[in-house]
Amino acid sequence: MTEMTRREAIALTSAAIAGVTLSGRAWADVAPKRGGTLRISAPANPSSLDPATGGAGSDHAFLFTMYDTLIEWDFETLAPRPGLAESWKFTDPNTLVLNIRTGVTFHDGTPLDAEAVKFNLERNKSDQKSNIKADLASVASVEVTSPTQVTLKLSTPDTALPLILSDRAGMIVSPSALKAAEGGTVARKPVGAGAYAFISWADGERIVVKRNEKYWKPNRPLPDGIEFSIIPELTTGARSVTAGQNDLIYQLPPRQKAILDRVSSVKVVNGPTLYVIQIFLNWAKPPFDNPKVRQAFNFAIDREAFVKAALAGLAEPAYMNLPKAHWAYDKSVAGLYSYDPDKARKLLAEAGFKDGLAIDLVGYPDQDSVQRQEILIEQLRKAGMNVRFANAPIAEASAAFFASEKRGSGLLAAWTGRPDPSLTYSLMFTKDAYYNAGRAPVPPELEAAIKASRASEDIEQRRKAFATVQRLVMENAFVAPLAFQYELVAMNKKVQGYRPNLLGKPKYDNVWLES
Amino acid sequence: MVRRSPIKVVGSRLLQALPVIVLATFMVFALLKLVPGDIAVTLAGDNASDARIAEIRSIYGLDRPFLVQYGVWLGNVVQGDLSQSLLTGEQVATSIGRAFPNTLLIVVIALILALLTGIPMGVIAAIKPNGWVDKAVSMIASLGVAIPGFWLAMILVAEISLRLNWLPATGAKSFTASPIEAIRHALLPGIAIAAYGMAEVARQLRGSLLEVLSSQYVRTLHAKGLSMSRILWQHGLKNVSVNLFTIISLLVNRMLAATVVIEAVFAIPGLGSLIVRGAIQRDFPIVQGVVFTMVIVVILVNLITDLLCAAIDPRIEQ
Repeated sequence: MTEMTRREAIALTSAAIAGVTLSGRAWADVAPKRGGTLRISAPANPSSLDPATGGAGSDHAFLFTMYDTLIEWDFETLAPRPGLAESWKFTDPNTLVLNIRTGVTFHDGTPLDAEAVKFNLERNKSDQKSNIKADLASVASVEVTSPTQVTLKLSTPDTALPLILSDRAGMIVSPSALKAAEGGTVARKPVGAGAYAFISWADGERIVVKRNEKYWKPNRPLPDGIEFSIIPELTTGARSVTAGQNDLIYQLPPRQKAILDRVSSVKVVNGPTLYVIQIFLNWAKPPFDNPKVRQAFNFAIDREAFVKAALAGLAEPAYMNLPKAHWAYDKSVAGLYSYDPDKARKLLAEAGFKDGLAIDLVGYPDQDSVQRQEILIEQLRKAGMNVRFANAPIAEASAAFFASEKRGSGLLAAWTGRPDPSLTYSLMFTKDAYYNAGRAPVPPELEAAIKASRASEDIEQRRKAFATVQRLVMENAFVAPLAFQYELVAMNKKVQGYRPNLLGKPKYDNVWLES
Repeated sequence: MVRRSPIKVVGSRLLQALPVIVLATFMVFALLKLVPGDIAVTLAGDNASDARIAEIRSIYGLDRPFLVQYGVWLGNVVQGDLSQSLLTGEQVATSIGRAFPNTLLIVVIALILALLTGIPMGVIAAIKPNGWVDKAVSMIASLGVAIPGFWLAMILVAEISLRLNWLPATGAKSFTASPIEAIRHALLPGIAIAAYGMAEVARQLRGSLLEVLSSQYVRTLHAKGLSMSRILWQHGLKNVSVNLFTIISLLVNRMLAATVVIEAVFAIPGLGSLIVRGAIQRDFPIVQGVVFTMVIVVILVNLITDLLCAAIDPRIEQ
């Protein structure tokens, strides 16, 4: 077995251990092959191909092919791993030193050195067009301490930074492309140092990338290129794979699995992700201003039944904002809200709603959302809560709930994963956070615990801090998490080496095509 | 009767079109601003904050008064600039230039199919009204009107693409790059839209033909000893051609509207998909651009129809 095939086998074995269903073929015998074009059906047009100016979580599927990040993560646990930074170290709580890999160049030939990293981090932190300024709020200054070393001076200890640098903020763009670009963004002409170089983007239609022949990872990437066809209608996208016009489709709804399992030319892979379907609660206004009502709401939901009925069993019941596989998961918090409609009624009575109460929620009108609503309405009715959903398209409902209108008391939606959990918690459970719909205060010990989760580099200490954060969030019942939806990917049988990851935003690092 | 020159007619019609264009785009713009939902929130991204949303409003001028925003858009259009997508920065003219041929090809194919099937059906039904052929035709026509296009589209994909593998299930190809592939991709969506058109053509044509055939000059033609087929094809159809052109122009407009749904079923990046994406994301330059294009197409189709009708039948006042 050559070096490459052994690594391939290890990767595939760990994927199998992680509960990934693979087709019955003897995968370990096949040597990865170079060549071919991977044709992917993608569900959404990207908002931008410049990591700093974009905003949608669905952009990453394209961005990850063209940009490498300073830090990467482990597919199964999201623990940080070296990327463009081959090592990093907190020399003191307020200083993070990144050692940049040598010999890496951007697609336009510009060397990727410490200066390039500094240029990017400063741009991400302060450029007016940057959407990720807040991600780097703790960074006071960026200094080049050697041609291959960048030192970040922090205004406050922030151990979430390494994983923040595995996302948009750590995607390194060619500085010469940025300086030459009109308006200072490479939104439509991305130049990174990733496995694939950009060729073209036709809005709502197609994105084409080709192999970066000078890529720094040995023997990667294997395909000659990737062609993304943008097909927002997922049923249609799945049909394009069934009909052989595309090789792979990601982010499928669970109901597609039964249909695709019947197609012999297609294999289906799934795995857990951080993508959590949840009900955001507005705890600044009645009835959710009363903690007992919020707790009752959480007790009234039968998450196991919800997963079976609404998600075809392809999900993990969610009792907090992190799934079992995550390094910061805390088992004791997961036991807080086991299904108990009687307890829910009792709590409601204590809150003064002996005869039940009506709750107005906001939701989305698509087929999957409405099905989830029907199940929830029935479950909550049994506990004396008469729930009504007012549905509107995502852009409208989400703005109406989170921005100034404050429509409804809760929103059935989802939270896409963030590489570091501290972001998830600070974006939802701090006083002025946008995703804290009521902008209502949270207990000071929760704000302190979120801060503490970023204070220590030691993983055990961070885990403890997150246990406190999760416990406080759930004891206060600031949210009703429902289920972590599995990543569901369907592909043509010639596609090999695809693994889902815990973040739920696909990376195609090890994919290759059998001829 | 004094006939005006066709150039003058065209000129005055285009002049009349201007207020229509302004009114249509203004109404769509107003609707987009009236419905809730805010592109600034989308632009601010997943890690949005109130401050960032406010900042984005001022960067993109979304905080300016409604009429000013429309005025800026209109001013750009007058200078030949359809401006660019707020979200992705692509020039709207580029998006439309790419999407329009895809939609046009589907509509043209649908129209040809509708006429090729609808005209013979209408004619044979009119020969013997209330005979079994007529009844069969009117049943097929009723079905064509009743069957939803998107349902037919899905059935066609399931049978013809997925089971028989004769035609591609999704996507579109450029006509200029490979005409045959482009037509293969557009055929199923074309058929799905044509079903309604066929029914409409057959029903309308049958009605007009019956009216013509019951007129006195047809009786005279019969008396002269002309064969039924000569009466039908030479005299009958000529007299209903004005009606036929009117049906065609209405059909083109309806078919354009039908592409919005059909393009979603077949994942065709055409005008319909474009306007849906723009509307969902509140990316108003895109919506405005597509509405602008559609209005111009509709006006042109109507103009051509009127000119053709007038050419065939000089009695029609231009």
